[in-house]
Amino acid sequence: MTEVMTDTAARAPTERQGHSGMLSSFVGRYWLAVTLFLMIAVFAWLRPQILDPANIVTILRTSALMAIMVLGLTWLIAAGKIDVSFMHVAALGNMTAAWLLAGGSGWTIAALAGIAVGAVAGLVNGFLVAVLRLPPLIVTIATGGICASAAAALGKGTSVRIADPGILGELLYVSWGPIPLIAIVVAVVYALSWYAQEKLTFGHYIFATAQSEAAVNEAGISSRRLLLFLFVFSGLCSAIAGVLLAANLSSGQPMIGNSYFIDGLTAVLLGGMMIRVGKPNVIGTTTAILLLSVLVSGSAMLGWADYQRQIIKGLLLLLGVAVAMRASRSPSAHATGA
Amino acid sequence: MPDRLTLPAGFGRFVAFLILVAVVAGAFALIEPRFLSSQNLSAVTRHMATNGLAALGLTLVVIVRKFDLSFAGTACFAAMTIGFLIANGYDLWVCILVGLAAGAAIGAINGIAISVFGLPDIVTTIATGSIAGGLAFLYSKGRTIFQNFMQSGIIDLNDARILGYSVSFFFLIAIYAVAWFLMHRTRYGASFQATGENPVSAYFSGVPTKLYTFLAFVICGMTSVLAVVLILAESGTADTNEGANLLMPAYAGVFLGAALLGGTSVLATLAGTFLITMLLDGFSLIGVPYYYSDGVVSAILLAGVVLFDQRVRMLFHDLSTFLLPASEPREKRP
Repeated sequence: MTEVMTDTAARAPTERQGHSGMLSSFVGRYWLAVTLFLMIAVFAWLRPQILDPANIVTILRTSALMAIMVLGLTWLIAAGKIDVSFMHVAALGNMTAAWLLAGGSGWTIAALAGIAVGAVAGLVNGFLVAVLRLPPLIVTIATGGICASAAAALGKGTSVRIADPGILGELLYVSWGPIPLIAIVVAVVYALSWYAQEKLTFGHYIFATAQSEAAVNEAGISSRRLLLFLFVFSGLCSAIAGVLLAANLSSGQPMIGNSYFIDGLTAVLLGGMMIRVGKPNVIGTTTAILLLSVLVSGSAMLGWADYQRQIIKGLLLLLGVAVAMRASRSPSAHATGA
Repeated sequence: MPDRLTLPAGFGRFVAFLILVAVVAGAFALIEPRFLSSQNLSAVTRHMATNGLAALGLTLVVIVRKFDLSFAGTACFAAMTIGFLIANGYDLWVCILVGLAAGAAIGAINGIAISVFGLPDIVTTIATGSIAGGLAFLYSKGRTIFQNFMQSGIIDLNDARILGYSVSFFFLIAIYAVAWFLMHRTRYGASFQATGENPVSAYFSGVPTKLYTFLAFVICGMTSVLAVVLILAESGTADTNEGANLLMPAYAGVFLGAALLGGTSVLATLAGTFLITMLLDGFSLIGVPYYYSDGVVSAILLAGVVLFDQRVRMLFHDLSTFLLPASEPREKRP
């Protein structure tokens, strides 16, 4: 019941790969990246202004903020748990920072407090799920509801304006040509995360936890502590994104979580359809976030309504799950597993 | 052990639940005497009908050990479908039937994707819910539909009374009675339970487990439509986010009920829904701002899950060590 993505590697029989196996393996692993490039090409053909440096900066900046928010979520889902409170934790971090700023404190205090709130939320989630062994979906629905409520209560139901976006606000708008500074920072963070996920045993334990917590424990690693860490990390990531959004929007928005819920989960789960098929991973998440941002930007230029994008995102998610399941049943899929 | 001294299973929990209800009702009545007025009780029962219907389908899905996060989106889509048909002058029963068919269709898509193709339930239902929520905008490009609502008779569903209580409440009781009988007194219900408990052994015992999982999702889609029909009747308009508020109370109802009465069942959901609705209504009556209500429901849900879950495990643990003192070495105890 707790597993979010189905365990795909275990089911696939190990057979020798033929030529077609290689091809379907490649398609299974990289179709998301191929889709991203095709989508950019089509949008650039229909609306060349999507490749304007200013527009690329916007796409990369929104992608970067989203990427920070769902980095922890990626690993949590990879470890077989789910966190549906991440967007409300971000909203609470966002409102805590904005509320403190409106109350006259400095950016340092406000930012640290916002991030600390996220860590606390993550700790609570982690304690309930990892230590008390409660179902993660129900626990995070409930903690998410509490965070959303607290965020709204801080602003008495409306948004809080921030007079001075501070140094964070300035840094967010620093860019060289089409590349904003924040995108470079996020790229470095994701590169380090990729290293931790692929080259360190830490990553192996994340994926192993999804398969069998007992096996991880037998290997001498406390799966409880690992999950606790992942929940706290997810809370931290969401809250940092929330604080950055406060600087970016010059305001605290209590309802900001709602717009990130579907997008965040779609990014992680679509990302899980790439490279390690059936397993969320940081490279997949990055690709999926870029795909969603390009889709939003391009479809806005084509004049599509918000609901049309929502339908496309839903279809994309459904298609992604179906493709991944199909790919995982073909004989070659085992090669892509851990 | 003498047989006649044993009380029905879960009787203690039922008494605890009644005491909890009495305490909550008493607290609200002390703060705000209007809480026990017939007007407010009638409102509580009407809201309970809405929340209870949405929670009923979710109960079945949870019994087969799946989750459905799509029914709020399904309800939004069905609400706009019904609104669109009403605005175009169709008979009310046609509108509701088509709405139910729409809900069943989305539920069937979930059911086929999850039970036949084996897609993961949470991801699939998030996707279909998102698609259904988007499709709700198709009829009117997102504008509220209100034309013809007055003449269609849907408002009467909200206003009709039997013995001073809304018809919808009696409808809720009737549908829960049917559901209780089917789920807990027939082999069909036993098959649902078996599918959730252990799909492999259920399958080898001759239960078509895929069919039951499929049915749970179809029913969940349909009950959310029934719930949203009541919302439409109350508001008199159809809005694109009409069903969005169904998600939290339904989850809280199912899991709070399961925590209180010691397991997911139709009656547990009814109990959980009753408590949640009473709390939500009470808080709005004493003037707590709307943005606290989600937090309150969440906090209660969390408290219920944590406290009762711990106690079950402790009780179970004590009981097992008491009954089986010598059957296993002591250090193997959890």
